[in-house]
Order: sequence, then C-alpha cells, then structure tokens
Amino acid sequence: MHISSSARKPKRVGATASGEGAVAPPITLSERSATGLALLRIFVGYLWFQQLFWKLPPTFAGLYGYVVRESQHAILPGYGTLLQHTFLDGCPSLSSPVGCTAFVPLAACVWTAELLVAISLLFGLFTRFGAILATILSVQLYVGLAYTEWIWTYGMLVLLALVLVAVPAGRRLGIDLWLAPRLQAAGQRHRLAHIASWFV
Amino acid sequence: MYTLRRGLLAGVCASLVLAMFDFVTDGAPGNGLPAALRWFGITVADPTISRWVGFFLLIVLGGIFGLIFGALQRGKLITTGRALLTGLALGVLWWLIFELLLMNILNHASSPFSLSFGRFLASFPLDALFGVLIGAISIQWQVRHAAEAQ
Repeated sequence: MHISSSARKPKRVGATASGEGAVAPPITLSERSATGLALLRIFVGYLWFQQLFWKLPPTFAGLYGYVVRESQHAILPGYGTLLQHTFLDGCPSLSSPVGCTAFVPLAACVWTAELLVAISLLFGLFTRFGAILATILSVQLYVGLAYTEWIWTYGMLVLLALVLVAVPAGRRLGIDLWLAPRLQAAGQRHRLAHIASWFV
Repeated sequence: MYTLRRGLLAGVCASLVLAMFDFVTDGAPGNGLPAALRWFGITVADPTISRWVGFFLLIVLGGIFGLIFGALQRGKLITTGRALLTGLALGVLWWLIFELLLMNILNHASSPFSLSFGRFLASFPLDALFGVLIGAISIQWQVRHAAEAQ
C-alpha cells in the first residue's frame, strides 16, 4: 500500500546539473510512517482541543487577556493599533471583557475556528483544510505573542501545522481514508468535489 | 476468530490513545487516568496506584469494546465506511454508558441524562474518536492481512 502526498499525477522532482532530465525517485511513505504521521495529527488535534476549555462561550473571558497582549506586543507594525481600534474599541477595562461588545464576535470566530481545527485533526476529516486553518491561527499567534513568551512556542505551532498541510495525514487512522478515494473519483466529474479533494 | 482478535487489538490500541490523552493533562502527568475508576465509583487513595489502575481499566474496557466490534463483523470482510460507522457507533455507546449514565448516577445528578455544554464538549469528541480509531485501525489491518494473503 502506498500513500502519496498528492492525488494528482506525480511531478518530476529534480534534474542533473547537466540538464539531462534525470528524475529523483518518488518518495513513498511506508505504512508505519503514514501511521506515525496520523498519530502526530491526532495529538496536534488534541493540543488544539485542550485549548478550547479556558475560553469557553458565551463570555470567552480567557481569550481577552491574550487579545490585549497582542494589541501591545505584536511584531507586525500597525497590527496592535488595528486590534485596539476594532475589536478592543471602547473596552472599559484591560483585565475584563465586560462591556467590550466588539470583542465577542472576534472571540466567537477564533473559538469556532479552533474547534474546527481540533475536530478536523482529531478525526482526520478534511485534514488539510484543518491544517491550513491551524497554520493561519498559529501565524496570527506568532505575530501577536511570539515575543511575550519563548520565541519558538508559536513558531513550532506554525511548523507542526505546515507538516500536516504537506502530508495527507488523515488518510490513515482518519475519516479521510474513506473520503479521499470517493472525492478523487467524483472530482473527475464535479468541480466542487475536485476542489474538496485538495483538502483531504 | 481472526476478526475478534483484530477487534480486540484495535480496541486496545484505540484505548492507548485515550490513555495518552489522559496522560498529557494539566497538572501532574497522568492526572486524567483515574477518571476510568470514577465511572465505577472506585477510589484509590494513592495517586500513583490510582493512575496505574485507571490506565489498566481503560485498556481492558477498550479491549472489550474492540471485541464487540470484532463480533459485529461476524468473520466477514468489511468495507471502510462500515468499519468507521460501526466504530463511531461504539464510541457513542462508550460515551453514553461511561461519561453520561454512569457519571450521572454516581454523582447523584437530577437525571441520568443531565449534561452541561462543557462536559459534553470535553467527553463526546474524544469518545467518538475512540470509536473511529477502532474502525480505522481494524480496516487498515484487514487491508494489510488481505495483501499478505495474496
């Protein structure tokens, strides 16, 4: 049994210096490696899952302090100001989200996105979509919080998510195992299924 | 017999993943493991022994659910979809029995079905995952067994 990172036709991945057109041998993951990556996916999913509980709806109170910190320590110029004048606009306190109306929609979106990442990675359901979402969330955390903690904390989160974008880790120990061949078959007839097949 | 053995091993492996989740909790490592004891109203004073007994109970219960999964296959080859669905149903059953009914009965809740959003979120996805893992592990071994037999 083979597992490849793409459903599409394998591409030529290298050439000799003289340009004679020699091709590097294709990389095939062994069953053990694929299962190992699936376990990695499950535990990264659990990492995101655990973080849902300190910022539960309806108040999302745990998240507030982090958004305030991001507005003060972001490494991207203007990012902090943007937060202060949108989601933190009119907030009466820096320690409590009470009376901070614009914060709730942001927090709800962040919490829902993290829930989607957790479900996607834990169950191996549209794993690459979950991994892309995890990458976006992690990059946002890196921009906002990297220099308030150990610099690599959020950097590693970005890298872990990128690994799961690159490798179809949901096709072992996950629902993508069932979904991938069906979407690939349907993708030859339907454009939507073809697009969906990119995310498994 | 082969499907029973495959189910048993798949159940043990899936419960090992749950045990790992209980290991990487906040506070001391393995803090979540004694939860399996609480389903049966068992308390062990020593925290280390409590974690080990909780771990072994979880593995035994996983094995039993794996055996049920194997028995449901009736010795036949199954499709991926059926394996995942059967596993998912067993995961939901695990959640219903242990996390909902037994926990409510032992906590003297107003109803055996009373449930908060936080408790549902903390337990249901992981128990459903346990079931999906039984199905996924089992189907992968079936495919490998079929390939080796050819």
